[in-house]
Amino acid sequence: MKRSYVGVAVLAFILFLNIIFTQYMVHQFFYENYVNTLIFCGLNIVLFPIALFAYKKMKNVKA
Amino acid sequence: MPSDKNNKIPFNEDNYTHNIERDNERKLDRRGFMKTLAGAAGVFAVSSLPWGAVAAKELMGLGEKEYPHKKITDVSKLAVGDSLEFKFPGEHDDAIIIRLNENKYVAYQNACTHLRCPVFWVKEQNQMVCPCHHGFFDAETGAPTAGPPRRPLPEIQVKVDNGAIYAVRVKRYEA
Repeated sequence: MKRSYVGVAVLAFILFLNIIFTQYMVHQFFYENYVNTLIFCGLNIVLFPIALFAYKKMKNVKA
Repeated sequence: MPSDKNNKIPFNEDNYTHNIERDNERKLDRRGFMKTLAGAAGVFAVSSLPWGAVAAKELMGLGEKEYPHKKITDVSKLAVGDSLEFKFPGEHDDAIIIRLNENKYVAYQNACTHLRCPVFWVKEQNQMVCPCHHGFFDAETGAPTAGPPRRPLPEIQVKVDNGAIYAVRVKRYEA
């Protein structure tokens, strides 16, 4: 049974983006650029449904 | 085994080999790992909510609070170029007022934005100095000019009324 690992790669990339956005969000917060904080907060939240969608799409993909 | 499984052959079960029982064999396979990653994205999303909420609160100006006006000192007691320490808005919030010229007063909360050491006004150097790690601040704006601090000192708005100086509110820093 061969399986595709594209989904794993996609989700790992989403996690990577999550880490970057969180880092930016926290830093921009302490630099008191609150608009940027909100932007990165929104991006972080948007990534969650994308991750769920990617999981549902990829969980049964066979190579 | 519940008997209803016998009616559907092969019945749906979450393992690889339905006739060999191994505990948790699907726990860390590809799909389980993807599930964990999606869950991590959820954790990130939820944990960024408070940051967004506080940022939105700051943007809407809810942090802009006017405190009861507090008398700092009399104009006659503060010579040009001199500074005076006081407390505002709370009992333990150290602040400093500097008389830059005849009519110009600036006041800041003088906890250094690096590690909260008290910042002093040094008349000879015409700037504010944090002695702990040699941080320097511009007296006109409160912005850091050298050393470890990266953020400006919070400015306190002052008002001169009837020969007395009052602290009105703590200004938000605008980038």
